[in-house]
Amino acid sequence: MTALADPTREVHPGEQAPALRVRDLVVRYGSGRRARSTPPAVDGVSFDIAPGETLGLVGESGSGKSTIGKAVLGLQRPTAGTVEVAGQDVTAMSLKQRSRQVADLRVVFQDPYSSLNPARTIGQTLVEPLRLMGVTGAEALARARSGLESVGLPAEAVDRRPAQFSGGQRQRIAIARALVCDPKVVVLDEPVSALDLSTQAQVLNLLADLRDQRGLSFLFIAHDLGVVRFLSQRTVVLYRGQVMETGPAEQVAQQPRHPYTLALTAAAPVPRPAEQAARRAAREAAGFGTAGAASPSVTGCPFVPRCPFSTDVCVEQRPPLRLLDGSLTACHHAERVPRP
Amino acid sequence: MSVLPLDAADGVTEDPGPPARRRVPEVLRRPGGLLAAGWLLFMVVASLTAPWWRPYGVAEQDLANRLALPSAEHWLGTDPLGRDLLSRIFTAGTEPLLSSAVTVLVAFGIGLPLALIAAERGPRVERVISRVTEVFLALPSTILLLAVIGVIGVRIFIIMAVLGVLISAAVYRVMLGVAQSVRTRLFVDAARVNGLGSLRVNVVHVLPSMATVIAVQAAQLYGIGLLIVAGLAFLGFGPAEPDPSWGFMIQDASSYVFNAPWLMVPTGLVLALTVIAANELADAIAGKAAGEAAPARRRRRSPARTAPLDGAAELAPADPAAVLEVRDLTISVDDGADLVTGVSFALRPGRVLGLVGESGCGKTMTARSLLGLLPDGVSVRGGAIHWRGQDLVGRTEKELSAVRGREIALISQEPMVALDPMFSVAYQLTQPIRRFRGVGRGEARRIAAELLRNVGIVDAERVLGSYPHQLSGGMAQRVCIALALTGEPDLLIADEPTTALDVTVQAEILTLLRALVQDTGLSVVVVSHDLGVVADICDDVAVMYAGAVVESGTTAAVLDAPEHPYTQALLAANPHVPDGVAVPVRLASIPGTVPPPGSWPAGCRFATRCQFAQDQCRSPFPARPAHATGSVLCVRADELADAHVSWDADHVGAAQAPATTPTAGASR
Amino acid sequence: MLAFLARRMAMAIGTVLAAVVISFLLVHATDTSPGAVRLGTNATPERIVAENEALGWNRPLPTQFFDYLGDLVRGDLGTSLIDGRSIAADLADRVPVTASIALFATLLSGVLGVVLGVTAAVRGGRLARLITTGSGVALSLPVFWVGILLVYVLALQLGWLPATGYVPFTVDPVGWFTSLLIPVLALTIGGAAIVARTANAGLRQALAQEHVRTLRAMGTPEWRIRYVHALRFASLPVVSVLGIQFIALFGGSVIIENLFALPGLGQAGQAAAASSDFPALVGVVVVATVVVVLINLLLDLFVAALDPKVRAS
Repeated sequence: MTALADPTREVHPGEQAPALRVRDLVVRYGSGRRARSTPPAVDGVSFDIAPGETLGLVGESGSGKSTIGKAVLGLQRPTAGTVEVAGQDVTAMSLKQRSRQVADLRVVFQDPYSSLNPARTIGQTLVEPLRLMGVTGAEALARARSGLESVGLPAEAVDRRPAQFSGGQRQRIAIARALVCDPKVVVLDEPVSALDLSTQAQVLNLLADLRDQRGLSFLFIAHDLGVVRFLSQRTVVLYRGQVMETGPAEQVAQQPRHPYTLALTAAAPVPRPAEQAARRAAREAAGFGTAGAASPSVTGCPFVPRCPFSTDVCVEQRPPLRLLDGSLTACHHAERVPRP
Repeated sequence: MSVLPLDAADGVTEDPGPPARRRVPEVLRRPGGLLAAGWLLFMVVASLTAPWWRPYGVAEQDLANRLALPSAEHWLGTDPLGRDLLSRIFTAGTEPLLSSAVTVLVAFGIGLPLALIAAERGPRVERVISRVTEVFLALPSTILLLAVIGVIGVRIFIIMAVLGVLISAAVYRVMLGVAQSVRTRLFVDAARVNGLGSLRVNVVHVLPSMATVIAVQAAQLYGIGLLIVAGLAFLGFGPAEPDPSWGFMIQDASSYVFNAPWLMVPTGLVLALTVIAANELADAIAGKAAGEAAPARRRRRSPARTAPLDGAAELAPADPAAVLEVRDLTISVDDGADLVTGVSFALRPGRVLGLVGESGCGKTMTARSLLGLLPDGVSVRGGAIHWRGQDLVGRTEKELSAVRGREIALISQEPMVALDPMFSVAYQLTQPIRRFRGVGRGEARRIAAELLRNVGIVDAERVLGSYPHQLSGGMAQRVCIALALTGEPDLLIADEPTTALDVTVQAEILTLLRALVQDTGLSVVVVSHDLGVVADICDDVAVMYAGAVVESGTTAAVLDAPEHPYTQALLAANPHVPDGVAVPVRLASIPGTVPPPGSWPAGCRFATRCQFAQDQCRSPFPARPAHATGSVLCVRADELADAHVSWDADHVGAAQAPATTPTAGASR
Repeated sequence: MLAFLARRMAMAIGTVLAAVVISFLLVHATDTSPGAVRLGTNATPERIVAENEALGWNRPLPTQFFDYLGDLVRGDLGTSLIDGRSIAADLADRVPVTASIALFATLLSGVLGVVLGVTAAVRGGRLARLITTGSGVALSLPVFWVGILLVYVLALQLGWLPATGYVPFTVDPVGWFTSLLIPVLALTIGGAAIVARTANAGLRQALAQEHVRTLRAMGTPEWRIRYVHALRFASLPVVSVLGIQFIALFGGSVIIENLFALPGLGQAGQAAAASSDFPALVGVVVVATVVVVLINLLLDLFVAALDPKVRAS
């Protein structure tokens, strides 16, 4: 997996370093014997994000997607592997060092209700990261005000507290906080999953606009392939801490090559009754196993217990990522996966 | 001294909550809190200044007036040596009032930093600190204090500091729980990502959120300290005679209880009142006034029947085949805003109806009212719920419980918390089976296993023997469905049954529900915010917005040819485009947010956010029939349909996003 | 479950060891010496030095400590500096007195507190206000003051119970019981108040749980929801408060024993503290800790029986 420098992305000679590069990331929780006997939360994940690019990280609960976000941000120490921001290795850096030396990485969290300190005004919240970067009072406040305006909120909001805003508005504030110190990479950890559909669309549009205006790179973590497809150029599909498939977002969503990706896309319901009936019939015909039916073998493919295509080789050998129709797929039988 | 070190009932269970940030603290606005704070302040000031104002010296004897009752010369009476009680009580106050503060400071000075460190450094550090404090907690602290006194003598401030050390373990334990829960809040992580140092994260973000609990515990601990100082003095470990102490004055009184019972009253009362004040202050800070006990007894209000809204009554035609018919349902907060108004729908046997809308639109309230399970303080204000010929509105709790489970059952949103964590799956299934079907223990268990197999659980026996925390989310939801089926109901109410589940598990649960409907002829009301789920499982759908049904009909008709702008907007905002179609560059969105109950606009409630709103939308109008069996609540529906316009992706860019109207009930 | 038990056992032994270490260090940190205590204020410094030498006070600290531990394991707590009595034998007579007061008071607090707390949570309204206010006052009252009040009312005014004094169980079981009643009541008033608050809060929290709605939706009878499901849920905090309560009452009995002239552990502790009788002080601390730890161990077993999560861990 390491050797492949993401052939799904066109690399031009002389291009600058990727905005974010993750190599062979492994994260184990806990310590001691019990931790070593359970599979790691993240198991050898690698990806690059180019400047201005959005990479979607998709998976269900327990896939390790949020853990990857934490490891990238420095909130969780990786067991192995490296994280580079704009060519600089930040794996071993403390959060304090990171903010001093590479103020390029920020975050927007899922829950707009707990991501803002209820005791502090919006102004205080937005100024905090600026102060740490040495931006002084008046200028910091001016940047906070313009930051709010750039996410479609009135500048006067600096004097209010989070309780006075709705979920969607809070998420805009959280975006403003992430962007106020002009980062290059923003980790979006399920930024719209707690929002209602109409508000979700507002925030997704806003994120797309900001990315295009400022050339931002996003690591977009989500459980919904449809949402990921809207915002991302490329998608990484995770299952139990391992990359199942990675490739252009359209391709992964429309023509999944990995059985798990197929299961994910087939399970997502669409709001068109006739189409949904057909999808349901196709999904039921595919014969996927029940989620969490049995624990997978350690040596083989983690999806074996649920996979209708699995054979002995899948149990024995963990399939490597290989290039197939423009996507990287970790499946011995990718060719047999039906095309929708 | 029988008071335990810190009231374990507090703090642990309470969410730290945002700190008060008003000029006048909430505490002092409560009469109890104000009174308590006032008394403590009075005691501190009066005690510290006692040498200057007291009428007599502490050792001044009035031998003519020994053991006197209150009089003009001695307001509180005198002791066996004729010394003035008033002077002695307030002179004695200084030591306990100050030394208890020492205990509080030492206990928090040790316990709080340890808790913050343990919460920050994670499980390994936490385990070490917690083990040590557990040892301290198990030591009998009063007896250890005696040992300290035996060694160093009666040096009360040092002794109270030692007590602080011993009690710091209890402070640590309470504070650890709070600190850990504050640290799970994402604003702490956000501050760390911003590069805020550990100390400042704790001072700026963690501590303020703990302020309430700290204040509560400190006030309680202060009261405990007072009791302990007095108790030690009572045992003779206090200031030496003739210097007064509360404890020794009460000890003195105990020997005169037969011939001078008054003697124990003034000192005891002052001490008791001071401790009560400290505890009352704690309660006031915690925000629980003495009587705030919400009445757990479920009262049933008979709803005032209101006349049906104009035109609404004819909308849902009386369907003779319908098993459930809801007409003009109005649900309100008692003496407050309406949450749901004029909702009508009908459901035939074996059909699945979806109630769909965003949060705050009233869909869950509507669903819960079908079972009479509205939250306290919310009730059905008008309308009818016809279930098999009887009206469920206005039924007594007893009449309703005959319907619940047997005829109408519920599946709720969070399967992991819907089951009782203290009982095994077997108990939770067999108990209703025995009640509903009148069978014995063994037969009930056999039926339970069969039900589990019916909901797709292969190893039913193992699941029967397990407890809820041992189940995965999907498994728990299957158990919940099996539980709902124990009474062989005719109607199932599924309140966001798959929202908490992964998408592949959701698909399995929806398949299961569909199979149940096909096999048993069950009717289902599904509440969902997801139009995809509705498209998958529902035959009919009612789209709700701001407490009203804005569009209804068969699922195919409504979703394929939506007439109401809100339905169109919801569909356009969905990023799941049809196969083979490219994802749009921008998603359609609806500006603003759903207005909270109580601030709905007159006329069309969607008008403030609607692309097509005109003046005519701002005055009331009736719904009109649509989609053959349904209705649409839009005065311009025909016009828009004729013009073939539908909701557009808005071109509102980031720079000119919708004007924001901070809403009062932002959190729905 | 076995691992859980082993862990709790280790904790118990650790706690006793900590009590020994703390009290041992405390005694040796002082500038007074046992020789001075034994010989009184009139002794010459030379005689005190000789006496300390005879008591083994000048040996290295670890030697003394392990000697003490060795004796402790054999049940020997040394002899009193004041009257030379065997401390172990003395305390053996006293533990039952204190333990029975604390145990009675804890049990009574538990029963009374749960009844009051459940009533407040279930009935609501004015009664709940009365109970919460009343318990707020009750837990603030100094136990020695309550004790005097009870003596005044129950013994002096009504003459129902003896005012003070202790009758051994072996002498007169009924007299034993009545001699303990006022002390136990005095301790129970505060204890029951705390349990009532915990039970009230716990039950209200339990009734607000999501799974209670599931039960209601199943038409489960209200009594079953309250007294089987919610009470079981609320029992965990109540049991843990009872455990803390027992420790507090065990310590708090010092005062009550003094007030009612009961020959318990607390009285011995008070006397030892007043006379700086070091071996007796260490003995009281160690014995009190052992009793408290044993009771806590029992409670842990009880919690494990109640809570499936603990059992599974």
